[in-house]
Amino acid sequence: MEIDMDMDAIDFSGYSTITNTTPSSDYDYGWNHWSPLVNWDAFTGTHDDFHHIVDSIIAQDHTPSPDYAGSNSLTEEEEEEEDAAATAAAEDDDDAKGLRLVHLLMAAAEALTKSRDLARVILVRLKELVSHAPHASNMERLAAYFTDALQGLLEGAGGAHNKHNHNHNHNHPCGPHHQNDTLAAFQLLQDMSPYVKFAHFTANQAILEAVTHERRVHIVDYDIMEGVQWASLMQAFASGPPGPHLRITALSRTGTGRRSIASVQETGRRLTAFAASLGQPFSFHQCRLDPDEAFRASSLKLVRGEALVFNCMLNLPHLGYRAPESVSSFLSGAKALKARLVTVAEEGEEEEVGPSVGGFVGRFMNSLHHYSAVFDSLEAGFPMQSRARALVECVFMGPRIAGSLGRIYRTMGEDDQRGSWGDWLAAAGFTRVSISFANHCQSKLLLGLFNDGYRVQELETNKLVLHWKSKRMLSASLWATSPHSQ
Amino acid sequence: MERMFPPKKPSTMNSHDRPMCVQGDSGLVLTTDPKPRLRWTVELHERFVDAVTQLGGPDKATPKTIMRVMGVKGLTLYHLKSHLQKFRLGKQPHKEFNDHSIKDGMRASALELQRNTASSSAMIGRNMNDNSHMVDAIRMQIEVQRRLHEQLEVQKHLQLRIEAQGKYMQSILEKAYQTLAGENMASAATNLKGTMVPHQGIPDMGVIKEFGPPLGFSSFQDLDNIYGGDQIDLQQNMEKPPIDHGFMPMNESLCLGKKRNNPYSGSGKSPLIWSDDLRLQDLGGPASSCLGPQDDPFKGDQIQIAPPGSLDRATSTDMDPMSEIYDSKPVLQGEGVVGEKKFDASMKLERPSPRRAPLQAERMSPMISTGTMAQGRGSPFG
Repeated sequence: MEIDMDMDAIDFSGYSTITNTTPSSDYDYGWNHWSPLVNWDAFTGTHDDFHHIVDSIIAQDHTPSPDYAGSNSLTEEEEEEEDAAATAAAEDDDDAKGLRLVHLLMAAAEALTKSRDLARVILVRLKELVSHAPHASNMERLAAYFTDALQGLLEGAGGAHNKHNHNHNHNHPCGPHHQNDTLAAFQLLQDMSPYVKFAHFTANQAILEAVTHERRVHIVDYDIMEGVQWASLMQAFASGPPGPHLRITALSRTGTGRRSIASVQETGRRLTAFAASLGQPFSFHQCRLDPDEAFRASSLKLVRGEALVFNCMLNLPHLGYRAPESVSSFLSGAKALKARLVTVAEEGEEEEVGPSVGGFVGRFMNSLHHYSAVFDSLEAGFPMQSRARALVECVFMGPRIAGSLGRIYRTMGEDDQRGSWGDWLAAAGFTRVSISFANHCQSKLLLGLFNDGYRVQELETNKLVLHWKSKRMLSASLWATSPHSQ
Repeated sequence: MERMFPPKKPSTMNSHDRPMCVQGDSGLVLTTDPKPRLRWTVELHERFVDAVTQLGGPDKATPKTIMRVMGVKGLTLYHLKSHLQKFRLGKQPHKEFNDHSIKDGMRASALELQRNTASSSAMIGRNMNDNSHMVDAIRMQIEVQRRLHEQLEVQKHLQLRIEAQGKYMQSILEKAYQTLAGENMASAATNLKGTMVPHQGIPDMGVIKEFGPPLGFSSFQDLDNIYGGDQIDLQQNMEKPPIDHGFMPMNESLCLGKKRNNPYSGSGKSPLIWSDDLRLQDLGGPASSCLGPQDDPFKGDQIQIAPPGSLDRATSTDMDPMSEIYDSKPVLQGEGVVGEKKFDASMKLERPSPRRAPLQAERMSPMISTGTMAQGRGSPFG
C-alpha cells in the first residue's frame, strides 16, 4: 500500500504505460458514463482479446509450463507495478486497476469453466489486488466479493451449496453476522439508497388506491421479513377517515433465519403492536409454504367480502433469492383467488446493449456489471460513511453475489433465461393496473431525497422503473386478475 | 428592405420620440430603431398563420419552411423565429399587435391605421379565437394547480410514510438490542459475582464496550458514530437496558442525560437528509471515526457528568475525558486487560471491543492497518 501513498505525493497527469490497455472503441453506449470505476467501454468489445489477457497474466507470472500451481515469482511484476504507480496519476491508476481487476475476474470466470488450476492461479493473483476494507476503492471491494464467490465455486467442486461460501475464508472481514448486524445493515441500506422504500411505497400507494371504500383488506405477503413495508401502509390507513380492517397473511418457510416461522411470528407481534399504537384494526396470520416453498391457494384462510391483495417483493437488496417455481406458485395463487391487486417488485431487466455473451462468462459479466452499479449507487449514498457501506456490502451484497454466481455456475448460464415476472404475469393473463399520477409523483419525490443519480421512469402504464444512472435497477409493477377490478 | 437609422442613440430616446414606423418596399412595417423590429400586421400574421397551417401546425413548421411558404421579401429567419416561438407558446402575437396599435396608434402611419380599420372584423374573429385560447389556458392552469396540489399532498404523505417506516424500524432495533442486552446481563451477572463492578471511572460507554453484546454490537456503535448520534437514537437505546436491569446504578445519572429528539417523530427534518456537519464529522479523520463516541459532543456531556465517586476510584490510568482514554493506546490496552480479566470468564459472551479484535478493527477502523489513511484520502470521495 506504500504505492498509494507515493501516488498522493506525485501529481503527474501522465498515463500509465503498462496497464492502460484501453482500446479506442467505437461503442458509445449510454452506460459508459455511469461508472467512475471502470471504463466499461474498454472491455465490452474486448471479449476476443480475452486470451491475450490470460496469456499476459501467465507471462507476467513467468510460469511458462502448464503447471501453474507453483507461481511464486511475482516480484518482477511488483516492480513493474511500482513503476507504473510512480508515473501514473492516482486517478489513472484507479481506472487502470479497476480495468485490470475486471479483466482478471473475467479471466478467472473463464478459467473456472476450463482449467481449475489456471483459475486457482488467477484467484491467487486477484486476492493480492482486492480488498474488502471499507477504505478500498469501490472496484477493489466489488472485486473482493466476486473473488470470494469464485473461490467458493472453485472449492465447492461444482458448487452444490454455495450460499455462504464466503465464510470459508477466515481472513474475511465479515464472518457470519449476527441478526443485529443484519438489522443495522438493513437500516443503513434504507437510509443510503431508495431501493427498499421505492418498492414498498409504490406497492403501498397502489394498494391504498385499489382498496378505497373497502371495509376489509387482506394482504398476502410473499416475503414479509421484518414487516417494514406495512408500517407506512398502516399509517396511511390510520391517518385518513376510518380506514378498513387490515389483515396480513405472511408466508413462512420451514427452517431457521429471517424467514422462519418464529421470525414471522415475531414480525406479526411487532406489526400488531404498531397497528395498536395507531388505532388501526389489524390481524395477522401465517401461511406455511410447502417444504419445496410452493404456495397452495387452498392453505390460505379467506374471509368473505375482503379485498385481496398479493404483494410480491423480489430482489430487493436485502432479500434473499427465491426460486422461480416458488414465486410462480404464489402468483398463480393470486390468479386462482382472483386477487384485486398484485404488486410486484423485481430487478430491472437487463437491457441488451452490448454484444450479449451467453454462458457462464457472459452471465458472470452481467452480474459484475449489475453489482458494480449497486456498489456505485451505495457509495454515492454514503460517500463518507465507508464503514456503514462496508457493513451493508458484507451483510447483503456478499451473500447475494455468491448466491447469484453459484446459480449461474451450476447451470452454466443456461437456466433462467425467462423474462421478467412482468412478462410472466402478462402471459398468464393478468391485466395491467395503471400507475397513478400520485404514485409516480411519490416515487419522484422519494428519489429526490437521494442522490441525483437516481431516476424513475414509467416504462409501461403499470410499471415504474428505478434507474441508477442509466442502469435499470428495480421495477415495480401493478397487476389485477380480472379486468373489472381496475 | 429599407432600414432607416435614427440619428439618436436609443438610450437617449424617450417614449415620446419613439421611432417612426416605416413601410418597406415589400409592405413590411419596420420600426426605425437601430435594430429594426418587424411589426406583425394583421395581414402579415394571417399569412404567417396560413403558412403554419399549411405546414402542419406550429410544431411542425420551422422558420425556414415558413419563410419559403410565405415568400415575403425582407422577412428574415430572425423575425420568423421569434414570432413562431411566441405563436407556439400561445402568446397570442396579435395581442401584441393590438398593444402596438394602441400605443403607437397616434403615430402610426395613416396607411397602417387604414389597414387596422380594414382588418377590424378579422380582429374580432381573432379575439373570439383568443377567448377559446384563454379558456384552454385557464383550464390548463387549473390542471397544473390541481397537480401541484396533489404533489404537495403526496409530499406530505410521503413524509409521514417515511416517518412511520422509520419509527417501526427503530422499534425493531430497540427490541433487538434489548433482547441482546438482556441475555448478556443475565449471563454477565453470574460472571460478575465476586468481581469488582466496573465503575471505577470507566465511563458507561467503556463499560458497555467491555462486556457489550457478543455479536453485532460494534455495528450499533458504528451506527451511532456514523449517524453522529443525531439521526438515529441508537445510542440511547443501547444505554437503556443497563438502566432497566438496574445493573449499573453508577451510570444511571450518565444515561439520563438530555434526551435527543427522535428524528423520525416530528423534528420536521427528513431522516434522509444529511447535514453537512455529519458528513464532516466522518471526514474529520479516520482517527476519530474509528474510535467512536468521543467525537460525539453529546457523549462528551455524558461523560462529564459522571458521578464523582467514579472519579475517586479512578486509578492512575484513568482519566475522565473519554478522548484521552481512547486516544492513548497503552492506556486503552491496560483497560482492555482489566476488562478481560473481569469478563473473560464468559468467552462466548466476550466480543472484544473493536480495538482488541484485529478482524473487527480492520473492518471498523482505518487506523489499524497502517498506511491506509493516505489511501483513504486518495479515494475520490475520501
